[in-house]
Amino acid sequence: MITGTGITKTFKQRGSVLGAREVRALREVDFAIEPGGAVSFIGESGCGKTTLGRIIAGLETYDSGEIVIDGVPMSGLGHRRRQPHFRRIQLIHQDPYSALNPTRTIHQTLEAPLALRAKQTGRSRSWVDARAEELLGLVGIDPGYVLPRYPHQLSGGMRQRVVIARALTMDPEVLVADEAVSMIDVSLRLGILGLLKDLRVRLGVGVLFITHDIATARYLGDDSELYVLYRGQVVEHGPTETVITRPVHPYTQSLLSATPVLHGLEKPGAERVVPTEALDPSRTDEGCLFAPRCQFATQLCTEQRPRLSHDGTTLQEHACFHPRTRSVIPTGTGTETEMGADTLADTGADMGARG
Amino acid sequence: MTANPTAPAVRVRGLTVVYKTPVGELPAVSNVDLTLAPGTITGVVGESGSGKSTLALCLLNAVQSPGRIAAGSVEIDGLGDVVELGGEELRRARGRHVGYVFQAAQNSLNPLKTIGKQLLDLGRSHGVEDLRALVRDAKDLLARMGMDGARVLDSYQHELSGGMRQRVGIMLALVLNAKVVVLDEPTTALDMITQATILRIVREVHDERGLTTLVITHDVGAVAEVADNLAVMYGGRVVEHGPVMEVLGSPRHPYTRGLIRAIPRLSGDISLARALPGRPPTLGTLPAAGCVFRERCDRRMDVCDTVEPVPLTRDGRTVACHAVDAAADVDANAAPGVAAGAADRTPTTARRKEYA
Ligand SMILES: Nc1ncnc2c1ncn2[C@@H]1O[C@H](COP(=O)(O)OP(=O)(O)OP(=O)(O)O)[C@@H](O)[C@H]1O
Ligand SMILES: Nc1ncnc2c1ncn2[C@@H]1O[C@H](COP(=O)(O)OP(=O)(O)O)[C@@H](O)[C@H]1O
Ligand code: SF4
Ligand code: SF4
Ligand SMILES: [Mg+2]
Ligand SMILES: [Mg+2]
Repeated sequence: MITGTGITKTFKQRGSVLGAREVRALREVDFAIEPGGAVSFIGESGCGKTTLGRIIAGLETYDSGEIVIDGVPMSGLGHRRRQPHFRRIQLIHQDPYSALNPTRTIHQTLEAPLALRAKQTGRSRSWVDARAEELLGLVGIDPGYVLPRYPHQLSGGMRQRVVIARALTMDPEVLVADEAVSMIDVSLRLGILGLLKDLRVRLGVGVLFITHDIATARYLGDDSELYVLYRGQVVEHGPTETVITRPVHPYTQSLLSATPVLHGLEKPGAERVVPTEALDPSRTDEGCLFAPRCQFATQLCTEQRPRLSHDGTTLQEHACFHPRTRSVIPTGTGTETEMGADTLADTGADMGARG
Repeated sequence: MTANPTAPAVRVRGLTVVYKTPVGELPAVSNVDLTLAPGTITGVVGESGSGKSTLALCLLNAVQSPGRIAAGSVEIDGLGDVVELGGEELRRARGRHVGYVFQAAQNSLNPLKTIGKQLLDLGRSHGVEDLRALVRDAKDLLARMGMDGARVLDSYQHELSGGMRQRVGIMLALVLNAKVVVLDEPTTALDMITQATILRIVREVHDERGLTTLVITHDVGAVAEVADNLAVMYGGRVVEHGPVMEVLGSPRHPYTRGLIRAIPRLSGDISLARALPGRPPTLGTLPAAGCVFRERCDRRMDVCDTVEPVPLTRDGRTVACHAVDAAADVDANAAPGVAAGAADRTPTTARRKEYA
């Protein structure tokens, strides 16, 4: 179990033409990842998602707050004593193309961390090769095909599976997946999402999923949770399906409204919300952070900052003075059942190499 | 759809583009026919490596070595066959007739020059005499897209966000009054809200200026929001083409069906969604004969291994698939009076039949 309480991070930019500028990347963020649980963070570019992922993976410092890994608070430990704890949290890079060393075969890529792991746990050399094959099998690719090959010889989906296999060499408790499917072809995305869901069940690995495409968060399992980040603040949090189908915060509604509608297959939601202006991170910090872009803002919103809390009427927490459920997501037109009736080999995976 | 009568039509015919590889020249685009009706937005979708960018570059005759256009023509109204153009004529056509926003426009601007300086360079290279008017037009376009033109022209690329750079790319493509505009992955790497803003701008500017627009993307959703017509590419072929609502609502080609079913969506039953098995082909793994999609196809038949399916057009929709042909034959037999007229079984005629 990993929890964060009040995680706060401010970047100070120096040397810019505008002089020193502060960016409040995270503002008192609370979160919890249960063993085998799935948690997604969504928000626009620049809202702090990557920063949070890097902090949780131990790759970035934070100004205040506390991270507790399996009951051990990190604040009391020096840098060296933290490392073994943070090693249990592995980051999966967004870009499967640059994440792998192009001059190494997949065998070489997996061998190095596994040899280290063997040394740490007192296992023999023969365990290394067996484990490499086992991990590749686990991520749904044929070890015989993949092991001798170089990254450029694999498809994007296969490469991302290799990256996940490499992360699994460290026996992580949590995988942090930052935009892990956005650079993968659409036809293969569900395969990777299905794999993450599967690893939760089979290995009890927790998943922290970072994305700006909310729809992908639905595919991690129906017990997953969604956090909506806006300018570093969590503005809505609850069960993924609840937040998607019954969002109450105007910012969440804006994100959902912006997801493209598959015209012909879907009808747009009746109450789509469009922000009144573009995101400007240098805007005033007075009142609700979303107020300058919110069409529902009142005087109160410009004077006070709403805090994330339950109001007793919804399953989710929110930070809005005027919460209201709006139907913003598309509805199906019914044609898809016809498509679903087709038979299609249900491999759910990018297993081209097997055939 | 507000088809504009003054907008030019674009007719791609029998287009083949090959890239030189260690094992010889291999086709990235194979014998493609595609008509962009005047005043419409056509979206081209397909997986990475399907040949979208290569096809788009042909509208400028800008395929770079080791690639070359091996066959075919690209006729643009008021300009002629772009494939036949060269030298000064071609240089002038780029920008004046055909505007191009490159893939990852965010990174294709010159980091060392202000946007304004790059605008003036563009104007000079095209012999624009009234540079003041050019700057005025640029500012108008930027204002039209919700930006402070004067400030943007004074900025360097790194001072702009991804969405702003994309709009600058669109401004540079339109400022010389091109009537044909090609946008390659205009919203990739942008978040959803910025993407929605860019797509709305593309649609509005397209309508206002009476353009014929081609949008290349791997994101079916982005195309669904902005395009009138949708062309689906696979392995260098256009395997399906038709009005976007119809193609998405009742896809005919097995690849289109699989692709749509694989899109993560906000609505609908997630248990019906699944990844397409297998992986996208690369130049080296494309089969030399038969259907290029057969390794991943759930409707594969014997004929698919040996005979390449020919694109056939009926009811304004073009599909290249043996299984779809067979199904249409059954329809034709069941109701000869209706279907026989609509279905044109002669490949050569069908290929010439234009999609309007
Ligand atoms: N090393 C850094 N120095 C200065 N500012 C930074 C740094 N890293 C991040 N920031 C700023 O912190 C804020 C949050 O950044 P972060 O990258 O975490 O956002 P994000 O939601 O992941 O965005 P994206 O989707 O673009 O990756 C942004 O305003 C960003 O400019
Ligand atoms: N310069 C090049 N040399 C060799 N092959 C290339 C080159 N550019 C593209 N290709 C190949 O041509 C095919 C189509 O590429 P491209 O047009 O870039 O597709 P897309 O834009 O859909 O990703 C791919 O298989 C790609 O690897
Ligand atoms: S608190 Fe006010 S400004 Fe903020 S999201 Fe709610 S209604 Fe809008
Ligand atoms: S031609 Fe055959 S293999 Fe190709 S898509 Fe149609 S049914 Fe499938
Ligand atoms: Mg990020
Ligand atoms: Mg491309």
